[in-house]
Amino acid sequence: MAATSISMVACTKFSTLGWIGGRKREVRKRRVFSVSAQQDAEVKETRQMKDEKVEKPRTPLRPVERQVNVKSKNMSVQMGGQWLSSVTRHIRIYAAYIDPETWEFDQTQMDKLTILLDPTKEFVWTDDTANMVFSYFQELVDHYEGAPLTEYTLRLIGSDLEHYIRKLLYDGEIKYNMDARVLNFSMGKPRIMFNHNEGQPQDVQ
Amino acid sequence: MQGRLSAWLVKHGLIHRSLGFDYQGIETLQIKPEDWHSVAVILYVYGYNYLRSQCAYDVAPGGLLASVYHLTRIEYGVDQPEQVCIKVFAPRNNPKIPSVFWVWKSSNFQERESYDMLGIFYDNHPRLKRILMPESWIGWPLRKDYIAPNFYEIQDAH
Repeated sequence: MAATSISMVACTKFSTLGWIGGRKREVRKRRVFSVSAQQDAEVKETRQMKDEKVEKPRTPLRPVERQVNVKSKNMSVQMGGQWLSSVTRHIRIYAAYIDPETWEFDQTQMDKLTILLDPTKEFVWTDDTANMVFSYFQELVDHYEGAPLTEYTLRLIGSDLEHYIRKLLYDGEIKYNMDARVLNFSMGKPRIMFNHNEGQPQDVQ
Repeated sequence: MQGRLSAWLVKHGLIHRSLGFDYQGIETLQIKPEDWHSVAVILYVYGYNYLRSQCAYDVAPGGLLASVYHLTRIEYGVDQPEQVCIKVFAPRNNPKIPSVFWVWKSSNFQERESYDMLGIFYDNHPRLKRILMPESWIGWPLRKDYIAPNFYEIQDAH
């Protein structure tokens, strides 16, 4: 477990490459953020937040730049490779660089975290909602800076993201994808006006 | 009320405290952690050659941690073997108990599980690491003051 004692202080860059469940015809559709890693580089992401109740500005995304010629490395046990990941249904976080085109999985770059958002396409994602998740991921990664890079920490991050996705669902920001392969409503059955405090549906007497 | 083993230990000047008998009439003794290794060797020499079970529990919130050993004396031609239950209590902030692995080898995984669940450090254990939880887990899940992290689980799926 010598590799896991690497501190997250060294993590100045994170790759937030994601691919997002869409329609079935666009199976290989994925999104790549090619913003450079400096914090002040890209401020234009402050697109209008359509939810007024969030007064906190979003954490700007700092994805790593695209790499060319990525090869799958350090995957085998003989090479000492070990999967450092947090895998739940909607969030997969790997301590590795994953090429968004070829899906080469470079485990030697453990200073980067790659998130795959909703691989089973259970929700309908737009650019905006996906960026909300990604910016929350960036915020969590900044929050856990200095924590040991272990599965426990990654699972804390992944679980917080899952709770955030649930909150988005309850707030009506995202919807279930009715064309998903498995339609089992893993975050609760669809319902009307779940989290609206002002307009509780009245029981019919 | 003193059992046979307690009387034998008193005769040989070994420090212990009798905790009475459990519901099956098995004698229960408390041994201090610093005496436990030597007493374990003496009990093995006495004839307790079988460690039937080892477990651990958290006595009370903020209280002590206990490591429990059930010993049996296996002999030929005996249908009512001698049994004894040993409890070793350790403080919560520095729970150190000598391992009995070098006396009864079968305590290997049992003590690892006790370490994993309650954080009791067994001295001289050959491979004291987590056995049930992932190695990077933080905290001791069976302690009474443990707070589970709110990891995401699928609860509503049907």
